[in-house]
Amino acid sequence: MANGSLTHTFSDGIMPETGDILMFLLTVAWLLPLAGFVVEVYWLCFSHRLNKGAAYVAVACIGIGFLCSLTALLYWGNATKWAALSEPEHHAHSASHDAGHAEAGHGEAGHEHEAHAVDADEHSHSPPPAPAKKYFSGTYYELARFSGLRVSLDWYIDSLTLVMFTMVTFIATCIHIFAIGYMHDELTEEYEDHEVHLHNGGHFSRPGRFHRFFAYLSLFSFSMLGIVLSGNIFQVFIFWELVGLSSYLLIGFYIERKSASTAANKAFIMNRVGDFGFLIGMMILWTSFGTFQFGDRTEGDHTQAGLFTMVRGQDGKLDVSEDGKEVYLQDAYGHRAERNGKPLSISYMLLVAAGLGVFAGSIGKSAQFPLQTWLPDAMEGPTPVSALVHSATMVAAGVYLAARFYPVFTPEVLLGIAYIGCITLFIAATIALVVTDIKRVLAYSTISQLGYMMLAIGVAGWGAALFHLVTHAFFKSLMFLCSGSVIAGCHHVQDMSRMGGLRHKMKITAYTMLVGVIAIAGLAIPGTSIGLSGFYSKDAIVASALAYSELNPGHILLFIAPLVTAGITSFYMFRLWFLTFAGTPRDAHVYEHCHENPSVMTTPLLVLAVLAAGCAWGGEGGPLYRLIADSELVPATARVASTGAAKVILPSHQGHESDVHHVHSTAGMLALISAIIGMTLAYLLYVKKTIDPNQIRQQFSGVYDFLVDKWRFDSLYDAMFVAPVHIVSAWCVSFDKGVLDPILHSAASLTVLTSKWDRAFDETFVDGLVNLVGTVTYNVGNSLKVIQTGRLRQYVMWIAVGVIVLFGALFTTIPK
Amino acid sequence: MSPETLLTCIVFLPAVWAIPLVLFDAKAKEAMRYWGVLGTALTFALTLQLLMQFDSNKSGMQFKFDTPWIANWNVFFSLGVDGISLPLVVLTGFVCLLSMLASWSIEKNFKGYLMLFLILETGMMGVFLSLDFFLFYVFWEVMLLPMYFLIGIWGGPRREYAAIKFFLYTLAGSVLMLIAMLMFYFNSDRSFDLLELARIAGGTSAGKSHVYGMSMQVAAFIMLFIGFAIKLPSFPFHTWLPDAHVEAPTPISMILAGVLLKMGGYGIIRIAFPLCPYGAQYAAYFLAALGVFSIIYGAFAAMAQTDFKRLVAYSSVSHMGYVLLGIAVWKIVDGKTVGREYWEMGLNAAMFQMIAHGISSTGMFFMVGVLYDRVHHRDINKFGGIAQLMPHYAGLAAVIFFAGLGLPGLCGFVGEVFSVLACWNFSPLLAIVAASGVILTAGYILWTMQRVYLGPEYKGPHPEALVEMNSRELAIGYTLVATAILFGVLPHLLFDPMHGSIQALTQSLASSYETLYGAIHTSQLP
Repeated sequence: MANGSLTHTFSDGIMPETGDILMFLLTVAWLLPLAGFVVEVYWLCFSHRLNKGAAYVAVACIGIGFLCSLTALLYWGNATKWAALSEPEHHAHSASHDAGHAEAGHGEAGHEHEAHAVDADEHSHSPPPAPAKKYFSGTYYELARFSGLRVSLDWYIDSLTLVMFTMVTFIATCIHIFAIGYMHDELTEEYEDHEVHLHNGGHFSRPGRFHRFFAYLSLFSFSMLGIVLSGNIFQVFIFWELVGLSSYLLIGFYIERKSASTAANKAFIMNRVGDFGFLIGMMILWTSFGTFQFGDRTEGDHTQAGLFTMVRGQDGKLDVSEDGKEVYLQDAYGHRAERNGKPLSISYMLLVAAGLGVFAGSIGKSAQFPLQTWLPDAMEGPTPVSALVHSATMVAAGVYLAARFYPVFTPEVLLGIAYIGCITLFIAATIALVVTDIKRVLAYSTISQLGYMMLAIGVAGWGAALFHLVTHAFFKSLMFLCSGSVIAGCHHVQDMSRMGGLRHKMKITAYTMLVGVIAIAGLAIPGTSIGLSGFYSKDAIVASALAYSELNPGHILLFIAPLVTAGITSFYMFRLWFLTFAGTPRDAHVYEHCHENPSVMTTPLLVLAVLAAGCAWGGEGGPLYRLIADSELVPATARVASTGAAKVILPSHQGHESDVHHVHSTAGMLALISAIIGMTLAYLLYVKKTIDPNQIRQQFSGVYDFLVDKWRFDSLYDAMFVAPVHIVSAWCVSFDKGVLDPILHSAASLTVLTSKWDRAFDETFVDGLVNLVGTVTYNVGNSLKVIQTGRLRQYVMWIAVGVIVLFGALFTTIPK
Repeated sequence: MSPETLLTCIVFLPAVWAIPLVLFDAKAKEAMRYWGVLGTALTFALTLQLLMQFDSNKSGMQFKFDTPWIANWNVFFSLGVDGISLPLVVLTGFVCLLSMLASWSIEKNFKGYLMLFLILETGMMGVFLSLDFFLFYVFWEVMLLPMYFLIGIWGGPRREYAAIKFFLYTLAGSVLMLIAMLMFYFNSDRSFDLLELARIAGGTSAGKSHVYGMSMQVAAFIMLFIGFAIKLPSFPFHTWLPDAHVEAPTPISMILAGVLLKMGGYGIIRIAFPLCPYGAQYAAYFLAALGVFSIIYGAFAAMAQTDFKRLVAYSSVSHMGYVLLGIAVWKIVDGKTVGREYWEMGLNAAMFQMIAHGISSTGMFFMVGVLYDRVHHRDINKFGGIAQLMPHYAGLAAVIFFAGLGLPGLCGFVGEVFSVLACWNFSPLLAIVAASGVILTAGYILWTMQRVYLGPEYKGPHPEALVEMNSRELAIGYTLVATAILFGVLPHLLFDPMHGSIQALTQSLASSYETLYGAIHTSQLP
C-alpha cells in the first residue's frame, strides 16, 4: 500500500530492503484487525447472533498479527546479527567524546570542556562520525502539504517498536481467546441484565452482543498498533484518539447501564483534558520545528532532519546557547540547522513547555495524577477489556509515548515526569489498600505501576521504564484475566469480602494468580538474584531512582516513595490473594456455586503465567532488556547536567562504570526487604489474623474514609470543573436569550415604532397638507362658482377688467 | 461540454428544472419527488463533471468567461471556478441531492416546496461561481427569498418568527455588502469584476496605479465582514441560527447547515480578504479572537440545550468558529508576512472545515430528523435507549456525531486540528483557548449521545414508532458516513485541488500588504 522510502543507510551490511520487509510485516499485523473490525461489525449480515465466528475472525486477525510481529522481530535480529543482545559497550560511544559534550556545557557535573559544547565551529568543521542508525522509517502517504510544511502517515521501526508489537499482539491474542469463554453468555437472543432497573420495575433483557464485543476489541488492537508504528507525533495523536474511542466503546459496552456509559464519558473526557495539553505541545513543535516526524527523511539527495535529530543532533546532546535561553536545532548532517543564513533555534522555555504538553497527553492516557480518576471507573467494562486495554496496553501507551519522545524532553520536563509518577504511584497504592472490589484493586495497582514507569523515565531510567512496561503487561494482564476467571466462576461477584478459600475450587486460577502476585510484588530468593519478572524490572527502576537521588540529594523523595510503595504494593497484592483464595469461604452461597472455568479460559492463564514469570529472564543483562535498550536514542554513558530552571544531574546508566550500576545491589536489596515486609504484614493480617484489620480500620477511621473516598478527587473535580461548566453554559444560553435576542427584538420594535410614526406623519401632516391644498382649491373653485353665470356680457366685462388690470400691472412694473 | 456551458448549466439547471413542475398534478407527489431527485442528481453529476475537468495544478481561475449583462453599468455575467470555490460547488450539489432525498416527509404543498428548493440551489451555485460582484449580490439575494419561504411556510410552530428573523439578519448583512460594493465600484472606475478589484487592491492592476485608501479598506472590510459573519454565523450575529434550524424542516436544516453557512466563509475568503488586504490585516486579531470565542461560546451554549436541533445548531456556531480562526491567522511583522506557510495551512484548514462541517452537520441534522419524523419531538431528556431499538441507525449516527466531535479518521478532525495548529504561529494565547474547545466538544457530544442513544429504555411519547431506518434513509446515512470516513482518512483528496489557489491567494495578499505598507510609509496614501 505504500512506497516507503528508507531514510537511512545501515552499516555492517544490513540490506536496505530489511526496512521494507519489516514495514510490510508490521503493516499487515496492524491492518488485519481493522479488516476484522469491519467483518465483525457486520457479522449479522453473514451469520446469526449465536454464531461464535466473529470471535474466531478476531482471534485469527490478531493471531496472524502476532506471527507477523514475531517474524519481524526475528528477521530484524538476524539482519542485525543480534548485535543488540551483546554487551552494551559494543555500540556505545567512547566515553571521552561524550564527556566533552556534557549537556548544556555548564553542568556541576564538573566538566572542563564547557566551551566546546557550544562551539559552533566544531560542529561545522568536523562533524562527528554518524553512529549507525538503529531505526527504519518511511512514509505511507501524505495527508497534506502546505508549501514547505508536510503532514503524513509514516512508519518508524526500531527494536522498541518490534518488542511492543510482539508484546501487544501476543497478549491481545491470549485475551481474545480468554474472552471467547468469558463473553459466552452474550451468545443469546435474550440477555438479561440484572444490574439495570427499568421504570416499571421489570427485568431488562436484550439480544446478546458477542460479535460487537470482538469488533471493538479488533478496533482497539488496530488503534493500539497504530500508535506503536507511528512515525510522527501527529500520527500518534490520531491513533491516540482512536484508542480513546475504542476504550470509550469498551467501557460503555453495557450501554444500558448508566454507570457504564458515565464511566465511558468520563474516560473519554478526562483523556481529552490530557489531549488538550498534547495539542499545545504539538502546536509548539509544529511551529518551531516545522515537522512532526521522529526520524530523518531523505528526499532526493537531501536529508531532512526529524524531531529527534533536530533536538539532539547526532550525539544525543542538546545544543544550548551560552545564556541557556535558546536551543539550536541541528540538521541531519551534524551541523546547526540554518534558514536564510541564520541559525534556527527554539527558546529553551518553549521546548520545556512542548515537552510538558506532550507529557500531559501521557498523563491522561496513563491515568497519572491529577487525571487518574477515570481508570478505576473504567472497570465497568467487561474484564477482558480491563486486562487488555486498561492495564496491559492502552494505558501503557502514555509511558510508551513519554519514552518514545524522550529525546525532546529537557531535564526539567524529566523532573516533572518523575514527580508526577512519584505522586501517582503513592496515591494509587494507598487507595488500593482499602478497596474490596477485586478488579478495582488491580486498577489502582495499574495506576501505581504506571507511576513507577513514569518515575523511571523521569530519573533517566529509560530502559528500566520500558522493561517494566513489558513485564507489567504480562503479569497485570495475567492477574486481570485471573480476576475475570474468578468473576466468571463466581457468577459476577466482584467483592472480595464475599470470597475466600477459592483456591480449593479454582486451582489453576489461584496459582497462576499467585505467580502474578509474586511478580508484581517483586519477590526474589534472598541472596540470589533469581525472581519473577517484576523483580528485575522494579529493581531497575528503584536503582535508577537511587542513583538519581544520590546525585540530586534534594530529590530524595523520588527514591523513598517508590521504595515504601514497593512494600505497600506487596501488601495489597497479597491481601488480594489471601482474601480471595486463602482462608475459609466468607459467603457460602458464592463458594457453593463457584467453579473453575473451561480450558478456553485457563489456557491463556497458564501461557501468560509462564511469561509473567520468565519474560525478564536475565534482568538487565537478559535479552528483553537489551533488546529494548538498543533503541535508546540518548546515550547515557556519562552524567548529564542541566543548567535550566531545575538544576539536576541525570545519572549515567550504560555500562559497568555507570551510576546506576554502582547502586544496583543496594537498591535491589532495599526493595526486596520492603516487599518482604509488605508480604509478611499481609500474611499476619489476613491469614494468621494476629492483627485484626477491622481494629486498624477503626483506629484510623479518618484516614480510612479518606482513602475509600479515593482522596476525594471525584468530588473535588465535580465542584471545580463539572459544576462551573454547567453554570457557564447556562450563562451563554441566557446571554443569547437575555441580551442578544432582546437587542434584536428592540431593534425590530423600534423599526415598527418608527414606521408607525411614519404612518402618523403621513396621515396627519403630509396627507393633511395635500388635503388642505385640495380643500382650498375646491373652496376657491366653489366660491368662484358664483361668477360663472353663463351670461356673455358679464364674461366680456371680466375679460376687459382682467386685461386692464394686466396692462396696469405691466406698465407699473416694467421699468421705463 | 464546453466549460462555459457546464458552468452555466450548473447554475441554471435547477431553476429550469423547476419550470415543468407547473405541469404536474398537485397530487402526483411521487412523480414530483422523483423529478426533484433527478434534477438535483443531474446537477450533482454536472458538478462532478466540473471536478473531473478541473486542473488541480493550476492556481488561478479556470473556465472563466464574461458576457456583458448590463453594459451601461459595467455589469458582466461572469462565472469561473478555482480551488476555493470548486469544493463548495461540489458540496452544494451533494448536500442538495441528499436533502432532496430527505424531503419525503414534506406533505404540505409539495409542488411549491420543490420549486423553491430548486431556485434556492440555483442561488447557491450562483454565489459560489460568480466572479462579478453585482452578479454575486444578485445570487445572494436570490438564495435569500426561497429560504425565507421554505422556513416560513414549511417550518414548525414558530416558523414565522424564525423566518423573519433569518430574513432580517441576512438582509442587514446584504445592505452592508451593497454599500461596500458601491464603494469599490466608484473607487475603481466603475468595475464590479472581483478579480480586477482584487488586483487594484494589491496594486497589480495593469491600468491603475492607485490602490484603495486605508480608511476605505478598513470601513469596507468591516461592512463586508459583518455581512458574511452573519451568514457564518459568528458570535454575536448567530442568534438567528438556532431559531431557523429549530423551525426549518429537516432537509432545509441540512441545506442551511451544509451549504448556506459556508457562504459566509467563502465570502470572507473570496471577497473581503482580497479586496481589502489592509482592512483584513487590520482586523485579523479581532477576527481570530472572535473565531475562538465562537468556538468556546457555541460549545458552552450547546451543552445547556435540551432541544436536539438547537444543540446541533449551536454546535455549528462552535464548528464554524474554526473556519474564522483558520482564515484569520495572518501574522505580519513590519509589513512582512511571517510564517506564510502556517497561514496557508490555516486557510486550507478553514476550507477543509467548511466541507467537513458540510458533511457532519448535514448528517447530524439528518439524524435528528430521522428521530423527529418518528416521534415528533426533540427533547433530549425524553429520549434514551435508541441504540436498543434502532441499532443500525444508532451506529450510523454515532459515526456522524464522532465526526462532529473531531475524532481522527473522520472528516471533522482535520479541519479543527489544522486550524488550531496553524494558530500558534499567529497567537499562542488564542491557540491555547481554541485547543481547549476539544474538551468542551467532547463533553456536549458524548453527554448528548448518552442521553439520546444509550440507556435501557426510551422515555418519550410514541415508542411504537421507533422502527429501524428504511432503505432510503439508510442510503443517505451511509453516503454521509462514507464521505466522512473518506475525507478523514484521505484528506489530501480535498487539499489537492484547493492547495494551489490558496497558496496563490496567500502569496498575493502578502505581497499586496507589503506594497501597501511601503506606500503608507512613504505616505503616498491618504
